[in-house]
Amino acid sequence: MQTEATLAQSDVSELDLVKRCQSGDTEAFDELVIRYRTRVFGMIYNMVHSEQDAWDLAQESFLKAWKSIGRFRGQSSFYTWIYRIVMNVTIDWLRKKKIKGGDAEFDDAIQLREIDPASKTVPKTEALPHQAMERDEIRARIEKAIDQLSPEHRAVILMKEMDDMQYHEIAEALGCSIGTVMSRLFYARKKLQSLLRDVYENV
Amino acid sequence: MKTFEEKWTAWLDDQLSGRELSEFEASLPDKAAAHAEKAEAKKLGELLKRELSAHPLKNEEFFSHQLRETIVRETVEERPERVGRTPRSTWWTIPRLVSAGTASLAVFAICAVFVMHQERAPEESQYLTQILNARVDPSVSPNGTVSIFEVKQERVTVLWTEGLQTLPADYAAK
Repeated sequence: MQTEATLAQSDVSELDLVKRCQSGDTEAFDELVIRYRTRVFGMIYNMVHSEQDAWDLAQESFLKAWKSIGRFRGQSSFYTWIYRIVMNVTIDWLRKKKIKGGDAEFDDAIQLREIDPASKTVPKTEALPHQAMERDEIRARIEKAIDQLSPEHRAVILMKEMDDMQYHEIAEALGCSIGTVMSRLFYARKKLQSLLRDVYENV
Repeated sequence: MKTFEEKWTAWLDDQLSGRELSEFEASLPDKAAAHAEKAEAKKLGELLKRELSAHPLKNEEFFSHQLRETIVRETVEERPERVGRTPRSTWWTIPRLVSAGTASLAVFAICAVFVMHQERAPEESQYLTQILNARVDPSVSPNGTVSIFEVKQERVTVLWTEGLQTLPADYAAK
């Protein structure tokens, strides 16, 4: 069974895989999914804060990628290209949820933590119960703060801080200018600084 | 021309250099406060990276399996639509229109000829003549003939007899 690590080391280039996908090779697409599924899921999860919704949105994103792989021209990396799909799907979903008045996303996240508090997010070195609790609280604070950002601001700050993406990559993924990315980063950081100052000062 | 927000962001991310950096730093009213805020932004970035990165995808294999199943299902569903779309023939357009038009013209011509023929047929004469020799006894009147002339419109009937020796009492011309 191939893992992400072994695939990353393999000689099969991303562009070769994409070309095979474009000729209808589902196995090649499967390899691309294995390479990017964790990053895609992680990004979506941090946008929506629900494992089930993140799973469904990641599935939808990859399915859309498969359907439109024929239009990928290789002008950007596959990762940037699929991020654009991921962001469109996720931001649309967040907007629709807001329109429907769904304010329960933070409650869902709390429930998930109650069901599975010892998920892989907890460090592998055994944490003491009070440390685990403290970590959960910190994460809850961060998620609550991120929930207060608009979908576009969430996307920008997460791509920058979580994935270390460059401005032009974020701009490509969101279909906007680099100036817009930088401006959104400015406001998103200001907002998070005001909401999380006590957290990052005391950790 | 970059806005202040863009320059500030670039400065925080250490993306300014050379003249652009010195000009921006020179434009800051409180350099110490700006550097303190930059340090705060760095701390925020580290916090986000540490707490948010690598949220695990549980059941990775099932994720891929579910996606494969969806792709296969959707591909199968799309195939009949494609089959239904492609073989649409253009035979119905021009050739069939031409043949249908020709057939219609032929039917019309036949009907027209038939109607005209009907109109040209000679009208039935208003005079109806019947020769009623059946009732004439040849032994009694060998040269006898009986004819009837009838004009239907005028409601007139003429019985014409010739060469009869006698007219039987019970004779009735029909």
